[in-house]
Amino acid sequence: MTAPGEAVLVAEGLVHRYGELTAVDGVSFDIASGETYGLLGPNGAGKTTTISMVAGLIPAHAGTVTVVGQPMSPSQIDAKRHIGLVPQELAIYPELTGRENLQFFGRLQRLHGQDLDQRVSEVLDLIGLADRAKDPSKEYSGGMKRRLNIGIGLLHQPELLILDEPTVGVDPQSRNAILESVEALSGEGMAVLYTTHYMEEAERLCDRIAIVDAGRIQAEGTREELIRLTGGVDHIRLSGSGDTDAAALSLRAIPAVTEVAADRHELTLTVRNAPAAVAEVVNGATSAGMTLEGVEINRPDLESVFLHLTGKALRD
Amino acid sequence: MRELLVMTGADLRQRLRDRTVVIFGLLVPLGLIIAFHAVLGGSTDPQLKPVTVAVSVPHDDRLAHALIGIVRSVGLLKVTLKSGTEPAVHSLTRRGDADVAVIVPKGFTKNVRSGAPVTVQVVDGADSLESGIVESVVSGTVDRMHAAAVAARAGATSGVPRDRVPKIAAAVANGGPPMTVSEGRAADEQLSVVGSLVAGQAGLFLMFTVGFGVLAYLAERDQGTLARLRSMPIRPSLIQAAKVASGFVLGVAATTVLLVVGSLLFGIDFGSPLAVGVLVLCAVAAATSLTFIVLRVARTAEQANLSQSILALVLGVAGGAFFPVVARGVTGTLLDLTPVAAFQRGLGVTSAGGGVTDIGAPVAILVGFAVVCLVLSRLVPDRGADS
Repeated sequence: MTAPGEAVLVAEGLVHRYGELTAVDGVSFDIASGETYGLLGPNGAGKTTTISMVAGLIPAHAGTVTVVGQPMSPSQIDAKRHIGLVPQELAIYPELTGRENLQFFGRLQRLHGQDLDQRVSEVLDLIGLADRAKDPSKEYSGGMKRRLNIGIGLLHQPELLILDEPTVGVDPQSRNAILESVEALSGEGMAVLYTTHYMEEAERLCDRIAIVDAGRIQAEGTREELIRLTGGVDHIRLSGSGDTDAAALSLRAIPAVTEVAADRHELTLTVRNAPAAVAEVVNGATSAGMTLEGVEINRPDLESVFLHLTGKALRD
Repeated sequence: MRELLVMTGADLRQRLRDRTVVIFGLLVPLGLIIAFHAVLGGSTDPQLKPVTVAVSVPHDDRLAHALIGIVRSVGLLKVTLKSGTEPAVHSLTRRGDADVAVIVPKGFTKNVRSGAPVTVQVVDGADSLESGIVESVVSGTVDRMHAAAVAARAGATSGVPRDRVPKIAAAVANGGPPMTVSEGRAADEQLSVVGSLVAGQAGLFLMFTVGFGVLAYLAERDQGTLARLRSMPIRPSLIQAAKVASGFVLGVAATTVLLVVGSLLFGIDFGSPLAVGVLVLCAVAAATSLTFIVLRVARTAEQANLSQSILALVLGVAGGAFFPVVARGVTGTLLDLTPVAAFQRGLGVTSAGGGVTDIGAPVAILVGFAVVCLVLSRLVPDRGADS
């Protein structure tokens, strides 16, 4: 097992082309043990191609991948022992039971005998399928199949877990369960590479996020670091009646407020740390004679970061 | 090796559970064999019918009675004799009460011994296969008798002691002909019609059965399990090898079951189990080799299914899986080189009593076919490599 904070994955200058199309163009990043790293980008951004190179499914036309210090490529068996891949598709065999699916992939991961039986039982408990272990997986619900799909990737306790859009098409309850599992695994010291086009998932799970578009990493960092790229300011919008000009004057005196734009029935304030400042802002407005009908806080999120960096929305 | 066994085992388990292989590898071909056999029925396997022979034989003529005795004892035919005068036997054949009439003239023995011309009349009233056989037997026997008499007279005139002349005559009459025309190898390799049907259908559906391995591989590509397998710590080539191995095992099992069930249902004896086993293994190897080409050409399971079906049908029809295809020259040679034709021919040899050493030609064709396909598969660009 890798020591805490030590790099589990190092990808440098990855390039992959499909004919004339360069799907991944010079992507570099690294992930330490216990860290969850997100690749956030729209469909077609190059996320899946990137993790295909990281997992040794396809060769890199340029660049290198090392996992726990071992070079990764389609023919590198040693490096593959350290990874667990959860593909976007439901990579399970419908004719086999949940237990048989786990046993099959466990044997390919060179688990056998009691070790295999024990790990299969542990994973079945972890993914909540112990009572349905003997049923063919084709009889499982979509959420159960997703959980089995993830369980197979965890079976051999890899140092690097690669999850490719694991919540696509999953109901909210199962989705939450999956996210909780990923959080728990990361807490246990596993390095997690997580691709998604759901901003909320990246924000919730990932210690660091790479914004990917057109095969390149447009920006990388923690959520806060990325948001600072947009200027990092919050907005509070007040709507109501009364003397908005007087209210605007009063609110400009609050230290957290940097700018106030007034309309007949609405004030838009640019503030630092809106959640902390909102109480003082509301008090100031009402004290100045404004009757409030609505208060709205707008904080920049990864969607705004993506828009800021690429000029298009994340779900375009 | 362990991983290969694990993957092959899991694949076989799935194929058996989804029942596709049982349906298309066993039930459909068996159903077709039974249906074809029912439709073609007795018209395909000629069974000789009993024959009634009306005979007019001079009383106390030893050779004439010997001639009729030979006709009666023809092993292939169940012969019923009706004796009568010459007009009576003519009448019997005219009325249809006898299929054929044999009229031996008076002085038959004396004339044969003296070498005088002898005419035995055969009246074919039925114009059937059976009456033709009787006519041939009579003709052949009279010729042998005549040859014996000629030999005896030649011996007597050339100074052979008189007491040895009868022995010479007997030797000529009973001995084998000095020149023979034997049926060639091609005739030996012919299965009965129902045997050909079973062997042909087994060979044809073998092409489909081994294809399940390829289809499973491409289905894994579509459903995402291939990506997962490629991320496992195993050599990538083992994944395809496992699919080919499961197709091979299914092919051997399905073909064996079809041959065994076919032989039990229709009373066919395919001969030496060892030789038949060698043929089955070689035929499955040939069919499996085709899947390597399909793997390179097809991008999806649908494309593979279509390619495999076209190849199976073309090779099956060309090989005579449904009906014999006769052609001469280059076309005939090419048809002979198809796996289904070679498989049928090999089973023809074994069913005629041939062993492992007698099936060299069909085995060479099947192995050669496999080698050619493997080489071709290396030359064809892999269209699915980057998928």
